[in-house]
Amino acid sequence: MAGAVIVRGRAHAREERRRRLGPLSALTHVALLVWAVLVIVPIVWTFLASVKSEDEIFGDAWSLPAFPRFDNWARAWEQAHVGQYMVNSVVVVAFSTFGTMLFGSMAAYVLARYRFRGNRAIYLLFVSGLAFPVYLALTPLFFVVQNMGRVPVVGPFIGLNTHGGLVLVYIAYSLPFTVFFLAAFFRTLPGAVAEAAFVDGASHTRVFFQVMLPMARPGIVSVTVFNILGQWNQYQLPLVLLTSAKDKWVLTQGIADISTAAGYDADWSALFAALSMAILPMLIVYTLFQSQIQKGLTAGALK
Amino acid sequence: MRHGRTRFVAGFLAVPVALYVIYVIAPYAQAFHIAFTDWRGVNADPRFVGTENFERLLADDVFWRAVGHNLLLLVLLPLLTIVIALFFAFLLNAGGTGGAGGVRGSRFYRVVFFFPQVLAVAVVAVLFQQVFRPDRSGMLNAPLIAMGLEPVGFLSDTDVALWSILGVLVWQAVGFYVVLFSAGIASIPRELFEAAAIDGASGPPMFFRVTLPLLWDTVQVGWIYLGILALDVFAIVWVMTAEQGGPDHSTTVMAAEIYRNAFEYFKFGYACAMGVVLFFFTIGFAALALRLSRRERIEF
Amino acid sequence: MTPLSRRELLRSAVLAGIALPALSACATPAGDGAVSPAPAAGATSAANPLGLAEDRPLEIWIFDGGFGDAYAKEIHEPMLKAKYPKLEIRHNATQEIAKTLQPRFAGGDPPEFVNNSGANAMDFGALVQDGQLTDLTPLYAAPSWDDPAVPVRDTIDSAAIELGSYDGTPYVLNYVNTVWGIWYSQKLFDAEGWQVPTTWEEFTALCETIKKSGRAAPFTYAGRHPYYIYEAILTLAAKVGGKDVLKNIDNLQDGAWTAEPVKQAATAFAELGAKYLLQGTAGLDHVQTQTAQNKGQVAMLPCGSWLENEQKDTTPADFGYAMFPLPDLTASDAMPYGTLHVQPGEEYVVPARSANPRAGLEYMRAMLSRQGAGDFMELVSTLTVVKDAGRGRTLKPGLASASRAREAAGDNTVWFLFRKWYAELHDEVAAASGQLMNGKLTVDEWAERAQRKADAIKDDSSVKKFTR
Repeated sequence: MAGAVIVRGRAHAREERRRRLGPLSALTHVALLVWAVLVIVPIVWTFLASVKSEDEIFGDAWSLPAFPRFDNWARAWEQAHVGQYMVNSVVVVAFSTFGTMLFGSMAAYVLARYRFRGNRAIYLLFVSGLAFPVYLALTPLFFVVQNMGRVPVVGPFIGLNTHGGLVLVYIAYSLPFTVFFLAAFFRTLPGAVAEAAFVDGASHTRVFFQVMLPMARPGIVSVTVFNILGQWNQYQLPLVLLTSAKDKWVLTQGIADISTAAGYDADWSALFAALSMAILPMLIVYTLFQSQIQKGLTAGALK
Repeated sequence: MRHGRTRFVAGFLAVPVALYVIYVIAPYAQAFHIAFTDWRGVNADPRFVGTENFERLLADDVFWRAVGHNLLLLVLLPLLTIVIALFFAFLLNAGGTGGAGGVRGSRFYRVVFFFPQVLAVAVVAVLFQQVFRPDRSGMLNAPLIAMGLEPVGFLSDTDVALWSILGVLVWQAVGFYVVLFSAGIASIPRELFEAAAIDGASGPPMFFRVTLPLLWDTVQVGWIYLGILALDVFAIVWVMTAEQGGPDHSTTVMAAEIYRNAFEYFKFGYACAMGVVLFFFTIGFAALALRLSRRERIEF
Repeated sequence: MTPLSRRELLRSAVLAGIALPALSACATPAGDGAVSPAPAAGATSAANPLGLAEDRPLEIWIFDGGFGDAYAKEIHEPMLKAKYPKLEIRHNATQEIAKTLQPRFAGGDPPEFVNNSGANAMDFGALVQDGQLTDLTPLYAAPSWDDPAVPVRDTIDSAAIELGSYDGTPYVLNYVNTVWGIWYSQKLFDAEGWQVPTTWEEFTALCETIKKSGRAAPFTYAGRHPYYIYEAILTLAAKVGGKDVLKNIDNLQDGAWTAEPVKQAATAFAELGAKYLLQGTAGLDHVQTQTAQNKGQVAMLPCGSWLENEQKDTTPADFGYAMFPLPDLTASDAMPYGTLHVQPGEEYVVPARSANPRAGLEYMRAMLSRQGAGDFMELVSTLTVVKDAGRGRTLKPGLASASRAREAAGDNTVWFLFRKWYAELHDEVAAASGQLMNGKLTVDEWAERAQRKADAIKDDSSVKKFTR
């Protein structure tokens, strides 16, 4: 009886909605379309400008290129070193995201599932980092990294103007969120499987890597997406830590530089090509994995 | 099971804690120390100067303009972004009634709206620098000039530039919150909407009486995120504007002043003092946000 | 989980803030000073006035940047080799001076000659403080390469020596010269019958003519970088009031910015800004304005002598870059027509602890010869600090024009250093100057803002002060 009411109510509500939204529907689409246009047009405009000649770029903004000049892309890739910057970004983010996930999940796991003295304190130490503005740490961080460069043997790989140094800093600054999120995730996992593994004589380390980590997969994926995006888009930290080694710059630095200092080359079409090169891979990767990425990011925000 | 437990815990924590202490905790702690010195970073040891940096800060017009801009963004960025995002989330989810699928093309819109979110802020800044160009080569000014109107100095007019910054920030942020709020709406049990519909609610009343209250918690999370974003604005200002925070300091923000004083003027002590102020703003904002959000949650 | 974690996060942040300053103990670099040893003089003679030791090698490091390193290999090194056939010259080039050479300075085994330039240059102040650089006084006192009767000092711009000095001792050779002026297209001026103005009335009249012709906008500057316009304002101020105007500004003197000549110059340019600017100037950067000029959309803009080289890709072949000095503002300007802002740059040093520093000095003497400088000018298209080095050379039109202007100026050159010394003052003046040109600041407000900033820097004990 009750079920029938709900079913009837549901059908009724849907009917109702269709009826009331009728005139609104057109407006709804207009509003959505307007914002979609606002988002897409600047991006498409950039792509168009990337195959324009210098003259066309300085001419009317809304004119189409007479014919597409793909040599702009070649120039940006080679002369503006966009290729180099992109490789640098990929290398840095690959290592730093891997490191973040490895160390972050290790710390989160131990903090979430083992009781020991100091557990709470260490956990709070990590998550407190979420509330600190990175700009406060910027100045001393510069000198910390500079001093790390003086450490014997490994110094040259982790000092200022090295990718190693940047990777370590990325990892450290990604830990608060990673530990915070993953610790929560590990806490929710059932303990039975791990118990069984222990009974079978597996070590703690093995249980972590072979049992718990695979079980935490959804959480790991979310945080990985979050970290890749965050580190790929980072501008502030490389700006401070890679200042004087232009060949080590990451993509964000390179693009910002092309728009300002490297204006000396007056190569405007290469700027747009470089910009398109920075945008396009992100859009493609995003479109391919969009539902995963959206879920990952919003899950991160909702926790 | 007890076997090797301590060693395992210590072994797993050693590297992450060491990295975190060296690169995060130590710099933050040092910043508080440096803020009380006149350190300029070269050779000489920092000299303790008491609260001199903070006194100078009080009289620093540019820094207080930066604070003002941050506060303006702190109010307007969350407000505009959330209103726009709620509006679109409501439309996308068929009037917020939780209907599966929502309006036609809602998947497409959700994907597209999210585009700006995956672009680096530095890249977005360069992009809009071109969009805002002051002559007919600028995407926005070209039609104005074609219509015989005066071009707008989006980034060159001191009265307009900050609004351009706000516009870009909103442009980039909205998509994320549309998706976030959509997920929130989708997680509201459909029976609640239907019950309300039976009571005769629909459209905007439905949104304000049912959807929004149930979504309130998510909105607050968004508000905190956007607030912190507003306090941390840097790349968009640094890359996009003339004079990096200009023209004539009209777009500068705290983070830009910290960076400028530290790495261009080498006034590390002074920059750290600014950092300390920003720190208290951030903590203060977060504490306020938590206090305000401590109302009853609606469980379902 | 949600409410708990967020609240705890805050509490822990506060805890961390209280408990952690104890950790602050690892961020101060060390450094100790030493007095620079005077270079050990070998046997000197008329042919070898600096006493270079021919039996020890000369190791040279060139910054491989905008000028490349061919000029050293093809011009200066052969000159020295011709004079000292037995001398072994080891040539090196790098884009990363500091990374390559810093360890050798630290290890007490630096090379004899270093072109310390580029983004990865070593810090001059630290090198000087550390006693790492050779005092260049013997070089400037030595007879010049071309004429034994004239010391090197008299063959080059005095600004070059002053700019390379630290507390009165010259340590750094600034070799490349930059002169500023108003740039135009000779072709356009010839075609339209426009004449280079020598007085401010002629200048504004020319602007009026250009504006009325509708052929182009009269004037622009890099609006996004107002340095380009305050440079011109200050040069004009010095022309009106004399060299001390800029000296006072550099020395943070009371009222230096509110002095009458400064205000007069600012007033003149503010009027230009109100009436004759290219539309949208405030939002354009140097590349955009310079490209607009190449396209004939604007007639004149202020810039330095790097302009022709910077624009080489967008300049039409027959454009004919040329420049003129700032016109006379009043009939009673303190400095004559032709006064120029001249600023030396591109730094070279001779490390004091190298094995053969005298060879490094002798190499500099060769660079400062007329042949050394003249060939350099032709090869890399820039002016040098060597006087008249461009005479009789085939230079690109813009460079030739700048070279002529430099020669005509003689000793009537002015410069300012606060941009390098006090970056904050530079930023404030730039910001205010942009607004002055937009008409959003009056001349008095503009001068007061600059003065207020200068006073603040003067009162700031943490900022090291310089004087000249």
